[in-house]
Amino acid sequence: MKELRRGMRLVGYLVVLMFIGLAVWFAMTAYTQGSIWASDVHNTRLAASNTLRGDITDRHGNLLATTAADGSRQYTQDTAARRALSQTVGDIAGMSGVGVETFYSSELMDISTSLLDRLSELFHGAEHIGSSIQLTIDGRLQAYISSKFPKGYSGAVCVMNYRTGEILAMVSRPDYDPYEIMARSDAQVEDTAFLNRCLQGLYTPGSVFKIVTLASAITYDPDVIHQTFDCSGTWDYGGGKVSCANNASHGTVDLKTAFKKSCNTTFGKLAYQLSADGLRATAELFGFNENFKFGDFVVYNSSFPKTLTLSEQVWAGIGQGRVLVTPLHMTMIAAAVANRGTMMKPMLAKKITNSLGVVSAAGQPVVYRQVLSESAASKIAEYMYETVQSGTATRAQIENYAVCGKTGSAEISNDKSVETNAWFTGFVYDDAHPYAISVVIEGGGAGAYMPSELAALSLKTAIKYVG
Amino acid sequence: MQSVHTDIDKMKKALMRANTRLLLSAVMMFQAAAMALVAFQSGQVNRQALFLAAALPIVTMLATVIMGKIWPVDRAILILALFLCSVGIITLSDIAKADITPRTQAKYALAGICVMFVSAGFIRKWTRWRAFMPALMALCVAALLSPYLPVFGIVKNGARNWVGFGGLSVQPSEFMKPVLIVCLAGGFANRPRFVKCIPSLAFAAVCCGVLLAQRDLGAVLLYFLTTVLMYYAATSNAFISLAGLGMGAGSAVLAYRYIPLVQTRVALWKNPWSDPTNKGLQLVQALIAIGSGGLFGMGLGLGRPRSIPLYYSDFIFAAITEEFGLIFAIGLLTIYVLIILRGLIVAFNARTSFHALTAFGLVVMLGLQTMLIVGGNTKLIPLTGVTLPLVCYGGSSLVSTFFSMGLLLGMSSMNAEDEAKDIERREMNLI
Repeated sequence: MKELRRGMRLVGYLVVLMFIGLAVWFAMTAYTQGSIWASDVHNTRLAASNTLRGDITDRHGNLLATTAADGSRQYTQDTAARRALSQTVGDIAGMSGVGVETFYSSELMDISTSLLDRLSELFHGAEHIGSSIQLTIDGRLQAYISSKFPKGYSGAVCVMNYRTGEILAMVSRPDYDPYEIMARSDAQVEDTAFLNRCLQGLYTPGSVFKIVTLASAITYDPDVIHQTFDCSGTWDYGGGKVSCANNASHGTVDLKTAFKKSCNTTFGKLAYQLSADGLRATAELFGFNENFKFGDFVVYNSSFPKTLTLSEQVWAGIGQGRVLVTPLHMTMIAAAVANRGTMMKPMLAKKITNSLGVVSAAGQPVVYRQVLSESAASKIAEYMYETVQSGTATRAQIENYAVCGKTGSAEISNDKSVETNAWFTGFVYDDAHPYAISVVIEGGGAGAYMPSELAALSLKTAIKYVG
Repeated sequence: MQSVHTDIDKMKKALMRANTRLLLSAVMMFQAAAMALVAFQSGQVNRQALFLAAALPIVTMLATVIMGKIWPVDRAILILALFLCSVGIITLSDIAKADITPRTQAKYALAGICVMFVSAGFIRKWTRWRAFMPALMALCVAALLSPYLPVFGIVKNGARNWVGFGGLSVQPSEFMKPVLIVCLAGGFANRPRFVKCIPSLAFAAVCCGVLLAQRDLGAVLLYFLTTVLMYYAATSNAFISLAGLGMGAGSAVLAYRYIPLVQTRVALWKNPWSDPTNKGLQLVQALIAIGSGGLFGMGLGLGRPRSIPLYYSDFIFAAITEEFGLIFAIGLLTIYVLIILRGLIVAFNARTSFHALTAFGLVVMLGLQTMLIVGGNTKLIPLTGVTLPLVCYGGSSLVSTFFSMGLLLGMSSMNAEDEAKDIERREMNLI
């Protein structure tokens, strides 16, 4: 019996200990996460409660979402604009998982206010008003870009102020109408319309990645800019072949010419010259393989292969293979080049104001990281300027402004059976209008055409609207 | 001589009453106040709640006093069990706002209390348990297999674990819980060597196999863990127990690989927000309910736990947390711990290893079951469909748990009598 008691005591203690662990864990999570859970858009209590969701406005104070007197949630009047802003603003059904309505739910509801406040509100029957959020987005600009996006294509456009990191527009196609979702649960919506492709679209960058390859080459060997390369249209690196678009031969080229003509063989050779770790180190400095936590929105992580075979190294140099990037991140890269090598932390919330008018979070520009030396950044900017002046991106020119850019036509199949994704990434070199942009058009063909044209229109309008 | 005996007896009884009188009155006041609150909440008086406001404390008091008069049982266990049961009825009558649910639950509770008296009397008289073991094992396996009967078997929530007779449907895996424990206690009694335990272990394995085939995952886990812990306590054989746990872990991996239901449950546990309006609905709404409750709860009748589809059964703990708040929910867990501690004392004081192991098995299963469902409600572990003992809606579980409580109380009264006899013997020796 004595031994039996000892065994029972041991197991009994174990069970009681597990209970204590469970209780502690439960109390901790419920206490710390409780208000986040409670402010979830799927909480039906909120609709019935006397809490009014706060407003969402754009950078000029135009209402993007507000709560009407009857308690219903209202979005932008114009249908096209409402659709253009759908994934950015989100909806109270929570369909767009990264929208402001979902991500900022607890602020918009201000559910975390103290218990005493809640009790007094309960007794007085006073309405509880949530905080209002002003975004860095320019609603008119976003609607305009969306209206100019090629019909029938999917893709994304991301515009950002490279001095401050403010995101000015995030267009993602296809889009949806939040009113349709709210009205009918069986609304017909395209499968991927709820995705915000700027944040959740992981794309093969193709030639726009040459910015990173160039940065790596200049960083590790500043003399590389005087080197010349022979391009015969294709290059056998011993194990495979890299070829230029349409197998065009660029002849003997210096680095600048190779960049502006987007010469694949040269950039393959550049990547070949770099050590495998060198290219990855530069990519990681630019934010690849990094767990992005910007605090005011969710963005998927870009990836660069951890281990590279020789073949993968060459292909990575021209942005092919296992390299993946989001349009927002590509914009950050172009922005870093424009901002003298300093990458700014992207920002979506400009101001959060509670119902008493107290500003709880003001959007101050924050330096994310120095990714390039100033001289390397100005060299890359010069090459990107030449690309727009006389290279592949001439359609991105804007009158009276110096536009710098790089095009890309990313292969997404091994046998060219699928049309390439068309990219443009670049910026306006102007202190009064410091705007960087990335455009992706899925299956859009060559980056020299549709994306470059759309980028020029978008930047021109940004200068006009944002000021 | 005689007078000394009666004096001691009187003193013991007086001591017991004094210890539990305060607890009993507190529980009765809670029951009356909570039900009265429900009754007068809306403009129209809820008559059923008003009736229960009187009935719950009266039944609690009668059950405690009568059972205490017949046998010297551990009243704390009894009162706390009745308290948990009334929390279930109160929560149901408040959140369900439909008349049928609390009434049926109250009827089940009444039936359960009767069963508790029967099982307490039964365990006191049952001395020839060894002869019944093979028959009990056969009964247990047959009952677990009964959902496969062509006409009577019922499939609910992806598990074939119900049997229906006419209008009544019961869950054999619930009723077989105390039977399994009694069978294992019989098999493991008197510190047997491993070889002698093999029939009992094989029996438990067959039970688990049948339940797994029926996709009653929660019951499988419960039966398995209880068996391993009872075996370890009975034999102190750490090697075999760990090997058993390892086999269990291996089976869990296999189950994950080959049973889609397990994969779904694990995926939803990892990220319920991946499908918040369909598959993840239950857990998402449970977490929202817990979060909405906060420290002190939304208040009785002011919450909206009905947005959790299974608010009355699998997710009643989340519903209680919303209505009564986090502090009350932690208190509820504490009450389970108190019952377990009192139950362990019954096990320690038992005179035979059979009774000790039975009491031990009952409280261990009670504890494991509570932890499985509370952990599932709060996203600590994947959800398994076991009931929150005594609280959750459902007749099978309630009656079966009251049966277990009856066994525990019966054994506690045997201990008290044995101790009284010991004291008496010492007095005799002194004189």
